[in-house]
Amino acid sequence: MIDIRSLQKRFANGTEVLRGIDLAIGDGEIVALIGRSGSGKTTLLRCINFLEEYDQGEIRLDGTALWYRDEPGGRRVRMREREIRMLRQQMGIVFQQFNLFPHMTALENVCLGPLEAKARPPAEVRDLAQALLSRVGLGHRTSSYPYQLSGGEQQRVAIARALAMRPKVLLLDEITSALDPELVGEVLEVIRGLVAERMMMVIVTHELSFAREVAHRVAYLSQGRIVELGAPIEIFDRPRDPTLKDFLRRIR
Amino acid sequence: MSWWRWFSVYGPTYLDGLAATGVIAAAAAVCAVIWGALLLLVRLELGRAGARAVDAYVQVFRNTPVLLWIYLIYFAFPLVGLTWPAVVCGGLALMLQNGAYISEIFRGSVKAIDLVQFDAARSIGLSSWATFRKVVLPQVLVHSLPALGNQIILLLKDTSLLSAISVAELTMNAKLLTEQTGAAYEAFVIVAVLYLFLVAILELGVKWARHAVSWRPPHHAL
Amino acid sequence: MLTLLLKGALATLILAIVGIGGGTVLGVGLAGLSFGRAWPLRFLYRLYVFVTRGTPVLVLALLVFYGLPAMNFALGPYVAGCIVLVIYGSAFFAEVFRGGVLAIPAAQMESGRSLGLPPGAFFRKIIAPIAFRYALPPYVNVCVMMVKASSVLSIISVWELTLAAREIIERTLQVFTVLGTAALLYFLICFAVDRLGRRAERHLMRRGFVGERA
Repeated sequence: MIDIRSLQKRFANGTEVLRGIDLAIGDGEIVALIGRSGSGKTTLLRCINFLEEYDQGEIRLDGTALWYRDEPGGRRVRMREREIRMLRQQMGIVFQQFNLFPHMTALENVCLGPLEAKARPPAEVRDLAQALLSRVGLGHRTSSYPYQLSGGEQQRVAIARALAMRPKVLLLDEITSALDPELVGEVLEVIRGLVAERMMMVIVTHELSFAREVAHRVAYLSQGRIVELGAPIEIFDRPRDPTLKDFLRRIR
Repeated sequence: MSWWRWFSVYGPTYLDGLAATGVIAAAAAVCAVIWGALLLLVRLELGRAGARAVDAYVQVFRNTPVLLWIYLIYFAFPLVGLTWPAVVCGGLALMLQNGAYISEIFRGSVKAIDLVQFDAARSIGLSSWATFRKVVLPQVLVHSLPALGNQIILLLKDTSLLSAISVAELTMNAKLLTEQTGAAYEAFVIVAVLYLFLVAILELGVKWARHAVSWRPPHHAL
Repeated sequence: MLTLLLKGALATLILAIVGIGGGTVLGVGLAGLSFGRAWPLRFLYRLYVFVTRGTPVLVLALLVFYGLPAMNFALGPYVAGCIVLVIYGSAFFAEVFRGGVLAIPAAQMESGRSLGLPPGAFFRKIIAPIAFRYALPPYVNVCVMMVKASSVLSIISVWELTLAAREIIERTLQVFTVLGTAALLYFLICFAVDRLGRRAERHLMRRGFVGERA
């Protein structure tokens, strides 16, 4: 499980983007982060796998503190690059676009992580990659290059690539926002499949209906804080916070 | 020898060279911009034949060294009866070469600017020349300022090649000084610093131009 | 006369290859410097690029040509010329490679980091191939620039096409024919480099890479 305590982050220009986030995510749980642009939801997601550094607070994965060590005397020090790399391997992330490496085929993209980061034997990796690509419905497109794939197909390969590392948690950053509407469904279908396997996921999304369908809990962020947190029914049907009501009204 | 003495003996030579370089570069730059604008006019107004001709012209100057053209004009003009001074021959070569690149810069700007305005201007009865002068050229010039600035820096550096035909600019003067004093490379270090000084000023100008260009309101809001 | 010009063209080609080869190698190292974590490295890079690109090639050539003997390296004009081309080219190549790395979309860099790839593999399999493809069009442009820059070396008496042409003119006074042919030969060399570059771009930059050359 992931435990986030009092997370705070300030941008270089002084803006406070995270003002004390507390969130606990259990194994197999799916949490959706919603909110306006600038609310901090993407920054929060990126802090989880340390693509963004944070100023205060801590993040724990299965009890182990991530990213920073406490030095005697109370100071806080960044972990070594090597440790950071190792920890990152336990998390998978998929971005909004430009995920795939354009000079590699779908299969090579998926194989890269296990091959280089985990040094698994090539034959085993190739079989694993083939299986994963089949699972996301692209078993027949393994030797296609990203430019030959549609946006939805590229995102599905990106998901397969993240899964190839057998992560403990999957982080999804608005993975359908850049897609043409007719391609969104195929990607959401893949995510539904992962729900059944009890994969822990943190999803930043604008697709409220999807969040409602798959998320166990939804967190609404505004101005760097989690303003409301609860089951989808509570958040979408019985919103309490006025900014949340306003947000829902505008999206609908 | 003391600082002051050195400066009073050699200073004028460097300053003369610097001034000459500046003047030659400025004159050649102005001519090159005008020439580039004319090439643009040909491209826009003389249809496919015109565009192809300008393309061929650009390709020729893109794929040949400017020094060759400097020599060609300098040695060939007297043969056809044109006894122009070396600096004019060299300046002409610089103009022809840089005009090609500048017309390409303008071409890029034209592409970037909304074409609707051409048709709008034509349909209210503006002649081609007036359209060009009042609608196209001002916008193209402003949009091209940063790239133009960079091209002018290149032109400035190319003025050093005029020393090959004995034009009295900065590099030439440095060569003369090394022969006079026998101090091998010191003169060229000083000259390099002076060029860098000019380049630095121009680069600041380009940066300022980039700012100024991006401050303009979008043309469709005017 | 034509044979002499052709030999000159060959000499030009060899000079260009030396300059491009050496400049590329040095340029890669410099580009690496430009991404250094310690600020003195980045400062040195900026300084080197500013000085090398801001000084006219001719002045650089004269500096090296007169400067080497002064430092007791009497290596002759040809070596001096090669050194000048390599140094001059390295600054431009470095900026091209640097630009290539910066052009890599952030999501691809972050995907690589998120996979936890070790630095060696990250560079070899992601940064280098992708940056190289983005850098290819401007790289080819710099190569053409190097061919043209070699003509300046004629002024420090390096024997190549421009010097060959001048020698012939001094003997025969056939200015138009000689310089015209020389121009044609330069054109052919540069054009060939350009075409080769486009072929490489077509092959390597399958759609998905922005930035085709004019």
